[in-house]
Amino acid sequence: MKIGFAALSAVTAIGVASGYAEARPVSYPDGWTSMQMNNGNYASIHAHYSPTFRDSIGLYSERNWSEDWHFTGVQYNRLLKRWNEKDSQANVYLKGGIGQADPFGSNSAELAGFIGIGADWETRRWFTSYEARAYDLGFDQSARQSARIGVAPYIGDYGDLHTWLMLQVEYQPESETPTTLTPLVRFFYDVQLLEFGYTPETERFMANWIVRF
Amino acid sequence: MTKLKILLGALALTFASPIATAQPETTEMQASEATMLTVNVKGMVCDFCARAVTKVFGKNDAVDGVHVDLDSGEIHVGLKPGTTLSDDEVEQLVKKSGYAMISVERETS
Repeated sequence: MKIGFAALSAVTAIGVASGYAEARPVSYPDGWTSMQMNNGNYASIHAHYSPTFRDSIGLYSERNWSEDWHFTGVQYNRLLKRWNEKDSQANVYLKGGIGQADPFGSNSAELAGFIGIGADWETRRWFTSYEARAYDLGFDQSARQSARIGVAPYIGDYGDLHTWLMLQVEYQPESETPTTLTPLVRFFYDVQLLEFGYTPETERFMANWIVRF
Repeated sequence: MTKLKILLGALALTFASPIATAQPETTEMQASEATMLTVNVKGMVCDFCARAVTKVFGKNDAVDGVHVDLDSGEIHVGLKPGTTLSDDEVEQLVKKSGYAMISVERETS
């Protein structure tokens, strides 16, 4: 049975979300996470469950307007390595998904999948992340990379509203505008993480939402 | 019949009194055994980290309450009266949360 993007979008209403440049694709044991990302070029939703702090499995759906396709499938994320230091944390993740994809205007879905690697390093003041992802859509192939740097203008304690100012650079070789630069602001409070940004090259807004529970 | 009621009433008071006085004594004894742990941890840099620790420790039967101080990198764990957690058990909970334990200190009140 085909699970369309529209159906998964409906799930968004109860708290699903994703982000290509998401920092941490795993949660705490028995934790659920929902993520949503939309930057004008593509929108994605990702809901996952973490049986351990090293793993998560869930559903992922992406609609890509810059390359005219959409993908829906199951995604597994694995924390390959974490470095815990007194004032910082660094992680390397492996991500993979398998499902179906079809180009816009076509009713024939094909077996598709993707694989990606992500890394981040974070202190309470600074944040950096990188991710590369490659898709085999059956009818086409796609790849992209993304990196971020961020700074917290103030340091809040647990339970406070946290604010981050970030800059994201993204490279999609198949896109009309391969390289984009997006300044964004991140608000992080309780279990909610919201991001808003603007990409001058494409004149599109970014809006991301992550909830953990 | 009246004598029987008086006798029953006296018996009830006799047995009820020790119970009534025993309860506060038990509470005082348990309260005196309450232990507070201060766990020094590496890797806690954000609210999601703190939430992970709170969730994992909170599911342990011995834990009464958890407070995370990101500034000091400390987890303050209140244990239920009469319960305990060994250093190894605390370290396992920290690892299960995804972080690394440096040290644990105990304070019994």
